[in-house]
Amino acid sequence: MVKKYTSMAYASADDMLFGNAKFPVKAGLGLEIGAGYTTPEINYAPRPQAGKSKEKLIKEYERITTDSMARMVQIGAPSVVLETEHVEQMTNNPEWGGAVAHAQKTIMEEYHDEYGIKCALRHTPGDIREDRDYLKLTGDKFDLLMESFEQVAQNGADLLSVESMGGKEVFDYSILRNDTAGILFGIGVLGSMDMETVWTGVADIAKKNGVVAAGDTDCAQANTAMFIAGGLLDKNLAHTIAIVARAISAGRSLCAYEAGATGPGKDCGYENTILKSISGVPIAQEGKTSTCAHSDVMGNLVMQCCDLWSNESVEYHGEFGGTSVQCWGESLAYDCSLMNVALKTGKAKDLRDMFTLSDKYRDPQGYVLAYDNAYRVGEAIAKDGNDNYLRAKNAAVECCNIINEGVASGKLKLTRFEINALTKVKDDLDALTDDSDKFMSDCLTRFKEEVAVFRPENYGL
Amino acid sequence: MLDLKLEDIDGILVRYNVALEKEMTPDEAAEELYPKDELVYPIAKAIYEGEEDDVIDGLKAAIDAGKDPITLINESLMVGMGVVSQLYDEGIIFLPNVMMSADAMLDGIEFCKTQTTEVPEPKGKVVCHVAEGDVHDIGKNIVAALLRASGYEVIDLGRDCPVDEVIEAVEKEKPMLVTGTALMTTTMYAFKEINDKLLEKGIQLPFACGGGAVNQDFVAQYDLGVYGEEASDAVKIANFIVENGEGIEKLREEFHKH
Ligand code: B12
Repeated sequence: MVKKYTSMAYASADDMLFGNAKFPVKAGLGLEIGAGYTTPEINYAPRPQAGKSKEKLIKEYERITTDSMARMVQIGAPSVVLETEHVEQMTNNPEWGGAVAHAQKTIMEEYHDEYGIKCALRHTPGDIREDRDYLKLTGDKFDLLMESFEQVAQNGADLLSVESMGGKEVFDYSILRNDTAGILFGIGVLGSMDMETVWTGVADIAKKNGVVAAGDTDCAQANTAMFIAGGLLDKNLAHTIAIVARAISAGRSLCAYEAGATGPGKDCGYENTILKSISGVPIAQEGKTSTCAHSDVMGNLVMQCCDLWSNESVEYHGEFGGTSVQCWGESLAYDCSLMNVALKTGKAKDLRDMFTLSDKYRDPQGYVLAYDNAYRVGEAIAKDGNDNYLRAKNAAVECCNIINEGVASGKLKLTRFEINALTKVKDDLDALTDDSDKFMSDCLTRFKEEVAVFRPENYGL
Repeated sequence: MLDLKLEDIDGILVRYNVALEKEMTPDEAAEELYPKDELVYPIAKAIYEGEEDDVIDGLKAAIDAGKDPITLINESLMVGMGVVSQLYDEGIIFLPNVMMSADAMLDGIEFCKTQTTEVPEPKGKVVCHVAEGDVHDIGKNIVAALLRASGYEVIDLGRDCPVDEVIEAVEKEKPMLVTGTALMTTTMYAFKEINDKLLEKGIQLPFACGGGAVNQDFVAQYDLGVYGEEASDAVKIANFIVENGEGIEKLREEFHKH
């Protein structure tokens, strides 16, 4: 059922490119993702008042959908994906999510019929398996989450995604304490186990309904680390630790494709270039065009191998240039147009390298995610692909090696603080066992004691 | 692949953090700040290093030498933590060090309490919570840890906290300050409700609000609101109240920077 990756999809890093995936994905109305062109993916959130009732929500999403489609047609964009990240009411009441998907798809069909614009609808139910005190990964809440997928798949969603949060309780504790084993255990082991359960479920539902099980992101952990790390001057977390967490997350997010998902991966998975190198699935990314949602230090670099190009999320409201979805969607579409021209004129690899170089030396995170280095992290994962723990550990070790080489080259400049943090992580990793069972039992004992909200039964342990 | 020449990189991006890093190492900076008393020094140092066992050993030695456990809380544990907070504020050490030091300090306080029947006096009590419907709690956890690290007693109501629970906690605990964290535009409206219910009951106290979604304009719309951008602002707000009283106007003058 779950088939682990033990080799690379691409023979070399240089074969990876935006708008091209080894295994393109057909979805929705005439769209093919990763089949030689890039496509904008517009993301949005309803205004707070709109969540008050089902009717209001549907109306809001109808406006969002019509505005987005209309602008794409007005500027001549050949293709578009819309992504609806559920507000909590839509997942907790699966028929609300279904009704929204239906309303949106109806409008998209009208545009497709009238103008021939290629388009698809992604729905991302919220991972509602968290109550006030604990993660409750299995049981009622899991069933409700699956029911939500079922409803959106039946009613028009073409691509299914989720930002699942297994392992987060141990991760949250560990990341604020520089606890390397805990970060590895939370993301690499617990996160991977939960991913396998969730994605086996989503893949079944997708298959049954003839839609696409797209992919996940380690938003709950690797992005949390990235946000705590913040900008160059923030002092809450070393950026070298944030990127180690990211490298580990690649092994975890890969589990979706091993359980039957086919891509496109979710936009906020900054680990996606690594995933693409191993699996060959198309990926969505976000960067300079998602500054409406958050700031990062690699706004151009992440475009290097994207197939969908996203704005992460913007609240629906008016701007001088139209509604927010129209403004941000338009920016995305022009970026895609540029990439598509490069693809047609034989300049794509140059443009890719320019995206990468814009940010490769800006921060250790961008340095490791630059496609040449990302590919190396991919190889470290595939090497022990059958073992969730070992592959996550390999990724972390390779990440440390890559940064150290960058520092030695003189091009990647780190603060003493970042270097010391990296040295500590590397020492911690070197001291860890190579025996996954031992790692598991050591961590279970320790985190049951240290993390009050950690419940091993969530993971069948 | 294409690459940049080393000398070209500076024209494309500036690593301001590298350019501005302080000369002194954190350990050296800490060394200058420790108290000199030979019984207190090892405790303060163990706090900085986040070594709870060494903290307890140091406390035992000091108590054996005749020091009073309660006095030790203020004169060694809090002083050690003061070193840590100062270095964090100056950008010399980072948050995880503060968290580990705070854990060590709390262990130390617990130990001191077991050595006496007296009850230590905290600097003040603060109620912290994350808005109803919102599970984003890392910012709140940082706020709570920094407040504890600065000697405040924290009543942590956790995340997704119903409005009425905040009101009840304020009535019961009579804190000097309430903090609220919200990361979603959909959840931050709970702060207004909390404000209105407190005022209805005739309770006046500063209500410090922060978190990703929250901004100064929003917080300024309700009477008790004081906006804070950084987690460390929560400590600064609490300290400001200790020194200047709880006037909201004065707090806003000090903390509303935009
Ligand atoms: C990590 C994260 C998560 C994690 C949270 C993990 C956790 N334990 O907290 C998980 C995966 C669980 C998550 C879930 C969701 N998330 Co989320 N998440 C984020 C993310 C990426 C980072 C947040 C973070 O931790 N930042 C780091 C911390 C340290 O920052 P902070 O809390 O702001 O705190 C700092 C300051 O604000 C300050 N501070 C905080 N509180 C206070 C208080 C006082 C008094 C003071 C002085 C200072 C202060 O101190 C801190 C340090 O300086 C943001 C993106 C963003 N741009 O913020 C989205 C974001 C907040 N999430 C979002 C969404 C939509 C969701 C979901 C609904 C997604 C879904 N469809 O399931 C769910 C929500 C579930 C729920 N009901 O709450 C949206 C919210 C949009 C909106 N409506 O406003 C955001 C903005 C992403 C986006 N751009 O779309 N998320």
